Amino acid sequence: MPAQIDTDGGHSLSLLADAWDKAAQHWHDEMARDFDVHHVRPLLDESRTYLDALRDLIEVLDTATRDTTPS
Amino acid sequence: MTRVDADIEALKEFHAALIRFRDAQREVAARGGQEVEAARASLAERAGHWRSVLEQRQAELDVCRRRAAQAPAMDDEVDCAGYVHAVAEAEQRLEQIRRWQQRVEEEASVFVGVAGRFRNLLENDLPRTQAHLSALITRLEAARGVQSPGS
Repeated sequence: MPAQIDTDGGHSLSLLADAWDKAAQHWHDEMARDFDVHHVRPLLDESRTYLDALRDLIEVLDTATRDTTPS
Repeated sequence: MTRVDADIEALKEFHAALIRFRDAQREVAARGGQEVEAARASLAERAGHWRSVLEQRQAELDVCRRRAAQAPAMDDEVDCAGYVHAVAEAEQRLEQIRRWQQRVEEEASVFVGVAGRFRNLLENDLPRTQAHLSALITRLEAARGVQSPGS
């Protein structure tokens, strides 16, 4: 299950980060820095935080399932 | 394509990436809650199973103990150790499930805060970012005399 999260959430997040890197290569003024700091970075950071938390949660839930299933 | 057009195109590409990201992450945002519900249901089902097993084993142990209490009068010997062990195993399983239920609730309550911030990001912050970028692209196109497709 964690692999599925990587594929769905992590992949689209890295596509977004790549798209921003490409856009930022052609945009160097103060407005670009402001957009990066106030819009893009919080978006990427908060998304990473969520995906990490989701991955950790699913690991715990998987362990709970394994640990309570009769062998 | 000129340098100025390339700049605007790059911003448009990023704007499109924001829309794709929001669509993709909406499903991911709902997943944590779904996984927690599935785990709760699974643990509750197992707890129910082991409560029923414990009840049955406890009844068997009670029968054995009654037989054991009567055994000396009939010059007999009854060993209930197997039943005691079976009851202890069921109690242990139930306790293990109870501990996991508690842990899942603790993890879920921590996760709720992170998930709430992420949903807020997708539903409020990200649309604001998209709108801000759209306005910026429009201003750039106007300032640089670039015609939007269809205009």
